[in-house]
Amino acid sequence: MRKLISSKENTWCIGCGNFGLFAAVRKAIQALHEAGTPMADIVMSAGIGCHGKIFDYLELCGIYGLHGRALATASGIQLANPKLKVIVFGGDGDSLGEGLEHTLFAAKRNIDLTLILHNNGNYGLTTGQTSPLSTPGFRGPTTPMGNVERPFTPITLMMEAGASFVARSYSAKIEHLSQIILQAIKHPGFSFVEVLQPCVSYNNTYQLYNEHCQIMDAIPQEEEEARKLAKSKEPIYLGIYRQESLPVYHKQIKVGGESLTLDQRKALLRSRS
Amino acid sequence: MSSKIYSVLIGGKAGEGVKKAAQIIANMAAKHGQYTFQSDDYQSLIKGGHNFSLLSIGNERIYNTYEKADLIISFDLRSVQRHLEDMAEHALHFCNEGDSGYPHVIPLPLVALMKEHYEGASNMMLSAVAIFAALSGITQACMQETIKTEFKRSQQENLAYACAIYAIIKERYPQPQLILTPAANPPAKIHSGNEMIALGAYASGLDFYYGYPMTPASSILHYLAKMRDSHKVYAIHAESELAAVNMAIGSAFAGRRSAVGSSGGGFALMQEGISLAGMVEAPLLCILSSRPGPATGVSTYTGQEDLHFALNQGHGEFARIVASPDCFERAFTLAAELLDLAWQCQSPAILLTEKFLSGSMLNVDLPVEDIHPFPQEETESTTPYQRYSITESGISPLRYPGADNCDEDDVIKWNSNEHLESGVRTDEASAIVAMRDKRNRKYELIAGATKRYQRVAKYGQGETIVFAYGSTALELREAQKHLPFLLVVPIYLEPFPFEELEEYKNVEVIVVEHASQPSFASFLIQKLNVKVKANILRYDGRHFHTEELIQKLREAIDA
Repeated sequence: MRKLISSKENTWCIGCGNFGLFAAVRKAIQALHEAGTPMADIVMSAGIGCHGKIFDYLELCGIYGLHGRALATASGIQLANPKLKVIVFGGDGDSLGEGLEHTLFAAKRNIDLTLILHNNGNYGLTTGQTSPLSTPGFRGPTTPMGNVERPFTPITLMMEAGASFVARSYSAKIEHLSQIILQAIKHPGFSFVEVLQPCVSYNNTYQLYNEHCQIMDAIPQEEEEARKLAKSKEPIYLGIYRQESLPVYHKQIKVGGESLTLDQRKALLRSRS
Repeated sequence: MSSKIYSVLIGGKAGEGVKKAAQIIANMAAKHGQYTFQSDDYQSLIKGGHNFSLLSIGNERIYNTYEKADLIISFDLRSVQRHLEDMAEHALHFCNEGDSGYPHVIPLPLVALMKEHYEGASNMMLSAVAIFAALSGITQACMQETIKTEFKRSQQENLAYACAIYAIIKERYPQPQLILTPAANPPAKIHSGNEMIALGAYASGLDFYYGYPMTPASSILHYLAKMRDSHKVYAIHAESELAAVNMAIGSAFAGRRSAVGSSGGGFALMQEGISLAGMVEAPLLCILSSRPGPATGVSTYTGQEDLHFALNQGHGEFARIVASPDCFERAFTLAAELLDLAWQCQSPAILLTEKFLSGSMLNVDLPVEDIHPFPQEETESTTPYQRYSITESGISPLRYPGADNCDEDDVIKWNSNEHLESGVRTDEASAIVAMRDKRNRKYELIAGATKRYQRVAKYGQGETIVFAYGSTALELREAQKHLPFLLVVPIYLEPFPFEELEEYKNVEVIVVEHASQPSFASFLIQKLNVKVKANILRYDGRHFHTEELIQKLREAIDA
């Protein structure tokens, strides 16, 4: 089996939550492969940000796309070849700022791919600006007087958008995270995984998360319960919030199978005239 | 000396079936061996306002409409008033009894009969079909057959209404006003320009079309959407144009031919995506159907104001292929060619057209046999596979992910950042130069590749040389039936077909385009140093009617 870590020099800050996330992803992919999925069938897309660098460190096929568009790109890949297991890496800005519409629509369609959201509460790579997930009061280069906006709650937002698999984990809990990621990838339909990720340079939440994160024993039975747990700050609940079996987009639009040959197409066109 | 064109104008409110009435008449005419050409004038609304359709009928190929109509059918007062000036000599202009009172306009009990024959929803537009049928010697039986095919519901009411109108006209005009002399072998089916483009791309292997509704490109999306189950092509209505272009590139990455289409505004949104196609070297067919701009512009009208925009899609340096079809057959073959070129050269290819071609309709055969697919070469790739391996030609071998398509160890990476041969991101100086030089080598390959297709079209002959591009060529070809001149139409704009147009360097020409600024003329001056004797411009959102264009050409020639 190929080595999943590339030879590209790693430029994440020492202590970055991405290292834990990266380890968990590799574990999940290894497990997926051992269970029978060919490596050539595992494909990724990433957007632009610190999160996006995972594209260069992971030895998988994929597209390092435009900022905000990783989900749209991934959707095109998935529809063209529904056999592929498509994993999308997104950041605060990529998935919930610039690319918000694609994130909501991927969930709305229940398209068969997995979005791993690197929630570090700021725009790290562009030097620490406020993100759609920053807490009120957050000071960054674009909000020197303090952020006045309220953050989204990714879990409830994705549930509202219709995501059929919604989960949260933490980059320092590698075992838990890798399990969640594996389940997310295996889930047929749109899977959303929010990964709480400390940013040692601009938003160091290690202490906060270490103190308050708690893994749920079970998937919440009721929608209302799930929403309350998702919004809780003490504790911050990790685990699966929703796991539903719903019709998958590519099957509903009947995509799949071989492309018609040019001769077959010509024959069809001749019969139109 | 060309044969007589019979021109029909139908006017009424949106929602009354004006366009459909004209289409049905065109179908009947085609069944009787006629060539037809239909252009629809409609506003940006769903009900009300004023719509009118112009239909030219004759027994040789027709490329445009005529301003003066021989038969006008106005469904409401506004139409009567609007088209009083559009009557040709000896024209018949029918209206509803309630809207009469104008000289030479003939009232008919259109609404009264409608109330008599219909219980609920009615089809007053069938009166136009009946009037035309009765005046042109088409049998009542043929008219009934046609109506039965076009309308599944209210059949009895439809036929009763139409026959009542037919009877009135037949009684008043026992001799046909129009003799339908059949042409030798006219094409049976009527297609719009957009349908031709969609079918041409399909013929060349299109699997996925991603779009967002925007006039005048929407009908490509609609048309392909209907073809899903019968033709296995997938038209996806994405959440935005931003989604569409990125999805299309994703599908190309996975090995499926894909395309996007929109008008100026939608393309404005797709700019970063087209730049992405240039950087990751994605094969992508882009169909840009223009309307007047800027911004939202005039949504349901025609214009050619996007030439420079089309030539400069996407920020940054990369090769783009841009071509514009001059006629319906070309809309089909060019779409196929551009899709092939996009895949051969791993570049975005832009098909530039405008509402006049996209929305107009005529009977035309699909030139299926004129499609000559370019075989995708099986080139040797390096081991390990490098997506962007440096090659002489600039083209790196393409492989697609998936156990069915590539080797287990292949790592296929497309990168929007500047990259190494492996597809991994770089900001190293020497690597930037190496990859930039590789991509720049594609320009030469692209120029060579386009040469296997017809890159310039020429029509007619005469001392005067007229240049135009896109569907303006259609307007000029109809004018050529009444005025001799040589019409030169560059089909490929980028790369510019220098070899084929060499002889026009420094030559005096007249340029016709639908814009307020003579961009195409300036483009020709830049490329060929032509001497522009006159710019014939129309930029009110309408195409030239034949009479007006002839007049303007005469003025330009005599000047």
